[in-house]
Amino acid sequence: MAGLSFDNYQRNQFLTSKNSAQPKATSTGTTIVGVKFEGGVLIAADTRSTQGPIVADKNCAKLHRISPRIWCAGAGTAADTEAVTALIGSNIELHSLSTRRQPRVVTALQMLKQHLFEYQGHIGAYLIVAGVDPTGPHLMSVQAHGSTDVGYYLSLGSGSLAAMAVLESRWREGLTKDEAVSLAADAIEAGIWNDLGSGSNVDVCVMEVGKDAAYLRNYRTPNVREPKQQSYKFARGTTAVLKESIINVCDIEEQEVEIQA
Amino acid sequence: MTSIGTGYDLSNSVFSPDGRNFQVEYAVKAVENGATSIGIKCSDGVVFAVEKLITSKLLVPRKNVKIQTIDRHVGCVYSGIIPDGRYLVNKGREEASSFKSLYSRPIPVPSLADRMGQYVAAHTLYNSVRPFGITAIFGGIDSDGPHLYMLEPSGTCWGYKGAATGKGRQTAKAELEKILDKETELTTEEAIKQAAKVIYMAHEDNKDKDFELEISWCSLEGTKGLHKFVTGQQLEDAIEFAKKETSVADFNDSDDDEDDNNDANVSSDDEAVDRDGDINIE
Amino acid sequence: MNGIQVDINHLKKGEVSLGTSIMAVTFKDGVILGADSRTTTGAYIANRVTDKLTRVHDKIWCCRSGSAADTQAVADIVQYHLDLYTSNYGTPSTETAASIFKTICYENKDGLSAGIIVAGFDDKTKKGEVFSIPLGGSVHKQDYAIAGSGSAFIYGYCDKNYKHDMSKDETVNFMKHSLSQAIKWDGSSGGVIRMVVLTKEGVERLVFYPDEYENL
Repeated sequence: MAGLSFDNYQRNQFLTSKNSAQPKATSTGTTIVGVKFEGGVLIAADTRSTQGPIVADKNCAKLHRISPRIWCAGAGTAADTEAVTALIGSNIELHSLSTRRQPRVVTALQMLKQHLFEYQGHIGAYLIVAGVDPTGPHLMSVQAHGSTDVGYYLSLGSGSLAAMAVLESRWREGLTKDEAVSLAADAIEAGIWNDLGSGSNVDVCVMEVGKDAAYLRNYRTPNVREPKQQSYKFARGTTAVLKESIINVCDIEEQEVEIQA
Repeated sequence: MTSIGTGYDLSNSVFSPDGRNFQVEYAVKAVENGATSIGIKCSDGVVFAVEKLITSKLLVPRKNVKIQTIDRHVGCVYSGIIPDGRYLVNKGREEASSFKSLYSRPIPVPSLADRMGQYVAAHTLYNSVRPFGITAIFGGIDSDGPHLYMLEPSGTCWGYKGAATGKGRQTAKAELEKILDKETELTTEEAIKQAAKVIYMAHEDNKDKDFELEISWCSLEGTKGLHKFVTGQQLEDAIEFAKKETSVADFNDSDDDEDDNNDANVSSDDEAVDRDGDINIE
Repeated sequence: MNGIQVDINHLKKGEVSLGTSIMAVTFKDGVILGADSRTTTGAYIANRVTDKLTRVHDKIWCCRSGSAADTQAVADIVQYHLDLYTSNYGTPSTETAASIFKTICYENKDGLSAGIIVAGFDDKTKKGEVFSIPLGGSVHKQDYAIAGSGSAFIYGYCDKNYKHDMSKDETVNFMKHSLSQAIKWDGSSGGVIRMVVLTKEGVERLVFYPDEYENL
């Protein structure tokens, strides 16, 4: 019979019903968006990293640099988004060096999709790729299985529904940079507030034609923790010094040497 | 030859100091001693002919076919070491077949020539192989019309109006030049007769040996673009014409003489090649 | 056999799919390809303005259905083959393109879920041609082809209304009506209707919005 074997399916169902639960697949919650505007493109992300129900990092960075003017927002398995963007970023730099040309967004996207397709979805990277190159500003996304989409505004991750709701209601053609940044940040905030997998702060990266990319780390911090009423830091000298001794572990010699000019 | 004792003739992958590859030159020698083969390109197709020397009286007449078909629309004839030719044709068939299976159309003849040329040339580059001991003349009709190529042991593969190789090539080339020098291009029907004549004339220097004549053609009208053998009355007429032209009437050519092996003759109950010129697979 | 038979062509978990309505129709002056624009991941619409009509050569295009990743990868490979073919042998025929599609889809049938319609205009014969390549990798030369989940609803309509040698306007109209019905009855199809017209004049792209095609 062609295809996969499902001989153990019934056995596993039986074991699950008995007692031992099936191993849980880890999935990571995220909200990422990309927005095009007049003269450029930007991407934004939340900064929550989760391991199951636990917040693993309250301020992680989900915006990755592929090349100076091509950036990428990652959702899915954190290790995979970082590894795959680092790999393609490295190859893009080598390619740019050997061709003596500015790297293009389509090149990065094609390399990403071919790599991800080769791994048939086992690399769990869902990315929004954006950047400016000699052919203009570009905004695209790539899914773990290797499919790609193009758009004026995109969202990905568990919070993408909340973010898309904001984008669908407020995006229009010819947004200014500032309008686009606040729209993207609002979309991410929608994820932060309404999606359990997303939270903490908003990171933004703005890429304008003819300008260096502006990485705005923690562009919004709507979740600053209240300072503790009492500090656990103890002032110097709180602990009394009972005795002090200094031991020479080696002999020190000094010598003056004249240096010829 | 100057190469004797120098050691530069022992390996394919080593040049002599004056820039020659002796192994290839020896392969050319093998060709120069082979039977005469020719090819003619016409406005409406191509014609191939070869002289088949009767090396033994025990050989069954017309059974040992020399001209081969690479693809339905491409024929091939060669002089030199015959098994090398069969091997090359086999390679050509693989290329034609793989092209067709991927692209669902017959391989263009120039592309086939290119691939076969590269394959032969590769056999002049490595120490572990020897060059092909043949010069092949092949061609046929594709969507761009008729094509004719000659492929040498070095891998050189050039397009020709008329090509000749083997022992009688000098005579054959001289005759082909006369035939093809005319203003109007030849038709395949005429070229069949001329091809027979050329082979008969090229055989003049080798008169003491008996031979059989084999002709094949690709014609837009005559064979619907396919490569087929010339048989039956058409072949007899060509031989008749050749004999008259070369005034070799002194050959004994009575068809009813069973012992006569002097020249090519045709029987209608041919086994290897049937009346349509198709090769029967046994 | 112990166990459960599972359709191997079923999408992998979380895979993006083109639950689709696609078609290609030959007409007097060439051929027109058409498609909806919906891409789904389960119940979520991942892209509502997808372009499922993909160029593999100047005047040979394809409609993609099945897995987005698989069909994009296959189309990319075919485009590469046809580029190479063009520099070696000149402009390819639609049949040649279909043959390459078939080879890839057939030889990898266990790993792919791709239903593709190849359509092209031959500048030599001045004719449009359509080849349908469904799941197993077979090839079917047709006057018109429909495919994707939405096509199930329009077999009857298309069979009754298709005519040989229609004009461009007639064909566009026929396809607009067909795809409109497919989108109406198939939940996995939707968005805009995209079309690509291939004639001796060149390549023309058309888009029709819901307020137009829903009120025909």
